Amino acid sequence: MAKTYEIKNNIRKLRFFANEMTQQELAEKASASRQTIIAIEAGKYTPSLELAFRIADAFGVEIGEVFECEVKGE
Amino acid sequence: MSYQEKKTIVSVLAAIILIAAYCIYAFSRVRLGTADFGDLKFWAITILIFIGIGIAVTIIIQIVFHILLSIAIAVRKKLENEKCDDRDIEKTIKLEMVEDEMDKLIELKSMRISFIIVGAGFVSALLSLIFYSSVAVLLNILFISFFVGSLFEGLAKLYYYRKGLKNG
Repeated sequence: MAKTYEIKNNIRKLRFFANEMTQQELAEKASASRQTIIAIEAGKYTPSLELAFRIADAFGVEIGEVFECEVKGE
Repeated sequence: MSYQEKKTIVSVLAAIILIAAYCIYAFSRVRLGTADFGDLKFWAITILIFIGIGIAVTIIIQIVFHILLSIAIAVRKKLENEKCDDRDIEKTIKLEMVEDEMDKLIELKSMRISFIIVGAGFVSALLSLIFYSSVAVLLNILFISFFVGSLFEGLAKLYYYRKGLKNG
């Protein structure tokens, strides 16, 4: 069975710890649309590496704190 | 519902209206006997006119949509906060209309569906020429496949906006 990589994120948690930052505020900081932030947060969209770095930068944390990869299968 | 979804719905509605208008006009002329499938000049003129109408209608609908959306955003902003000024409203409108990587990716994926439909239309048009030997039928299939392609492109966009794009 091939390995599958599922990208998970902690955006909701990080927004909470950033004084309940709104999705709109995060979108502005990461130069993305609110729709994209909503989709990423809900796990419906995997962002590009560049956007992932911009999101991490918006929170002032490392990319690994925002996104995690769950490996499934052998 | 996001700005992109609203914009797509408007485009889909415009495509439906144009297909319906073309079919009603062209085929009612054939049914009434004022035009027939052998009259290639009639079909060429009709298709050219509808291409022109299509471009004009799309531009007008998009302009009207942007005006109405801007008004709706301004009214909503004023209701939320009476003290907000024009700069705040302008900023909100700009933020609402931001287009980013997800929009571009969805557009590319939807365009691929549109190309497949147009390609299938082209093959069907050639097959129709083999079986019916009418150039007018070929022209109609080609023309309608372009409209159907743009219609499905819009529907695919709506689908991707709702379902999302996992793993690119």
